[in-house]
Amino acid sequence: MPELGKLALAIALLLAIYSIVANIYGARRNAPDFVASARHAIWAMCAMVTIAVVTLWTALMRSDFSLEYVAAYSSTTLPTVYKITSLWGGQQGSLLFWTWLLSIFTSIAAFQNRRRNPEIAPYALAVMAAVAIFFLGMLNFVTRPFDLLATIPREGSDLNPLLQNYWMAIHPPSLYTGYVSSTVPFAFGAAALITGKLDDAWIRTTRRWAIFSWFFLTLGNMFGARWAYEVLGWGGYWAWDPVENAAFMPWLVMTAYLHSVMIQERKDMLKVWNLALIGLAFGLTLFGTFITRSGVISSVHSFTQSGLGPYFLTFLIVVTLSYTALLIFRSKDLRSPAEFESYLSREAAFLFNNLVLVGIAFAVFWGTIFPVLSEAVRGVKITVGPPFFNKVNAPLGLVLLFLTGVGPVIAWRRASAKNLRRSFLVPTGLGLVGGVILFVIGYRHYYAVVSFSLCIFVVATIVAEFYRGIRARQAMVGENPLTALTHLISKNRRRYGGYIIHIGIVMMFLAITGTSAFKEEKQITLKPGESFQMGGYTLRYDGVTSSETPHVAYLRASVAVLDGGRQIDTMLPEKRFYKKPEQPTTEVAIRSTLGADLYLVLGSYDEPTKMATIQAYVNPLISFLWWGGIVLALGTGVTIWPTRVRAPAPAYAPGAREVAE
Amino acid sequence: MPRGRPQWRWLLAGAFVVAAALIGAAQVRSAVPASFQELEESLTCQCGCGLTVGSCNHLQCDSAMPLRAEIRGQMETGKDKDAILTYFSGKYGEKILSSPTASGFNILAWVTPFVLLGLGGVFLGVTMMRWTVRRRVAPEPTAPQPRAPSPYDKILEKDLKNFDG
Repeated sequence: MPELGKLALAIALLLAIYSIVANIYGARRNAPDFVASARHAIWAMCAMVTIAVVTLWTALMRSDFSLEYVAAYSSTTLPTVYKITSLWGGQQGSLLFWTWLLSIFTSIAAFQNRRRNPEIAPYALAVMAAVAIFFLGMLNFVTRPFDLLATIPREGSDLNPLLQNYWMAIHPPSLYTGYVSSTVPFAFGAAALITGKLDDAWIRTTRRWAIFSWFFLTLGNMFGARWAYEVLGWGGYWAWDPVENAAFMPWLVMTAYLHSVMIQERKDMLKVWNLALIGLAFGLTLFGTFITRSGVISSVHSFTQSGLGPYFLTFLIVVTLSYTALLIFRSKDLRSPAEFESYLSREAAFLFNNLVLVGIAFAVFWGTIFPVLSEAVRGVKITVGPPFFNKVNAPLGLVLLFLTGVGPVIAWRRASAKNLRRSFLVPTGLGLVGGVILFVIGYRHYYAVVSFSLCIFVVATIVAEFYRGIRARQAMVGENPLTALTHLISKNRRRYGGYIIHIGIVMMFLAITGTSAFKEEKQITLKPGESFQMGGYTLRYDGVTSSETPHVAYLRASVAVLDGGRQIDTMLPEKRFYKKPEQPTTEVAIRSTLGADLYLVLGSYDEPTKMATIQAYVNPLISFLWWGGIVLALGTGVTIWPTRVRAPAPAYAPGAREVAE
Repeated sequence: MPRGRPQWRWLLAGAFVVAAALIGAAQVRSAVPASFQELEESLTCQCGCGLTVGSCNHLQCDSAMPLRAEIRGQMETGKDKDAILTYFSGKYGEKILSSPTASGFNILAWVTPFVLLGLGGVFLGVTMMRWTVRRRVAPEPTAPQPRAPSPYDKILEKDLKNFDG
């Protein structure tokens, strides 16, 4: 079986090389047969990589320890679900998974463009194949997933216990999907530069891909945050670790891109900027992979750290230089007659939104690499940790939140005094009143007060937009409010989906503000029967029970939650002791309500005295982070959903047809 | 700079960049801790968890627990916050501080993002101003030339007639 995987990867590499040659030859010589042949090669490459993936999965399921990878990241006692997820638990497997996703997305793009974009699609597919060649080259020559061991061990080393969590089953695939799918808009952007077809065809072709990539980057970050919250047991969800930063930066740049392309689509401006942004987003995905695998910057969760850093760095440099050279080469052709009327306009708001988003991305990048810079310049190791990122990004985040309220509502071209009054008078008033009320009732955390006020402002602007839209439909068509709302959204999915996404973002800001400003924590050692107060509850420690499976031993504390003397819940924080490798982990207990989470960690247990040390946290508003993610997903679904447009029925063509957008 | 362009714009731009740098510097000042909890957050745990002493997820951590005791010890000596952080930095090296110091080379960590953002803002403002000026001086579009009759014109005319009817 391993030979099948090796063979499949070797053939996939050859097919990727062939597809580049055939695509470019076919496009240059105007030979559709070659372009079609290249497309078939891409589909065959995808089939070959799929065979390699299935081969490795089969080996993992069978615990075939003759394979070095299976022996290193699996065991006979590992639950089946984690045997499946161990495909991306180690270096070679995660690269294979990455390549698989890339081959799937390239195949879909090839299918979508089999009759569209004949001028740029072959070059875009060639760029995607070139990226695939890099990864397939690594899998064939540098970090091979099907290498065999000289001596077959009786048992595997097992998957890192921190990765044996259900969020890890969905967090890496989501993030990888976001990372890899950004290749499609990047490749079409590069193809536009190569061919000189610099209108917005490449943007329109890849608009859904860009949203798709952004959506999965969002999900990946959210799932990662949830994993950190449940598994790492420190009461938080984001620690500004370099690997987290590596996933956050492309998200920020992609967010900026999704806003700025609207200006190009509408006003044919910002061509260079949009091409630069998509190049930057793709470059940052490679940078993230470089960070994860190089060990240049120390990280708590570089699970796939290895000596691949130089390869990724070289690839990153080659991609960056080539793309920049193309941008410079085409810079004259990219100039467009810019039309701008006023700073008080949606264009200006979107441009400042771009500035702040890219500014935050730079601040995160700067903080991430500064330790390396310090060591290189001064020879002194320093740490750039959460306090730095929080302090630098908090003011920028608030500006961004403000622009989230302004951007979608302010008029294009020039906002009149009437437009400003109509759109912002009531929301501004509500935000200010909210802030004053918070201050009066005793909130003295100024960032939090400003943040909550801005949240009120943004929600008010969006609700007002929905209200105005519904009223307009009621007046024009006479619909009831619910029908009017449904039609309002379905007639303009992009706009109203965007509003829903912004509501999700506001919910996340609420959670970030609540947990940053008002988090409570307490560490206490108790005997069975003893209690302590936390977050308005009485928590009574009732003792510890233990259990064991061949894979893991459990130590589970029982903590009764009492409200006004009445027991309302029992929380069971755990310590787990994995047997291969011998490693303790924390399994927290969370009692979640909309207002706050009660979060318990079992720290230690002393058998002779039966005393346990419990770490307790109250995380206000954190549930809004997860609900915000769901709302955001809903909004993205609305935005990305294909709109069926009823084509006008001209007199000379009887019978109207419905066509997809 | 072209003659006649008002100086105030550049003064405003300069002021904007300086303001951005000051915001960066303000972040440094507000980074100075004042309480035990803030001191915990200002020090990085040395166990390899990558978190601050206050956030370390190992409750019986060999690094965080002694460091917490050491913070309390230092606070009891009556030292101020800067002196306590200087003590830890001297004993364990600068890497124990969870944020770069506000001196020397490290000041770049704090100020650079805000300065670049300020410069970006100035660039954006000036660019938008140029676009606006260009639009103001752009000649009025000439009247459209009559185009050759299209086969669709008749169909359109017929449709419009039906519509009116």
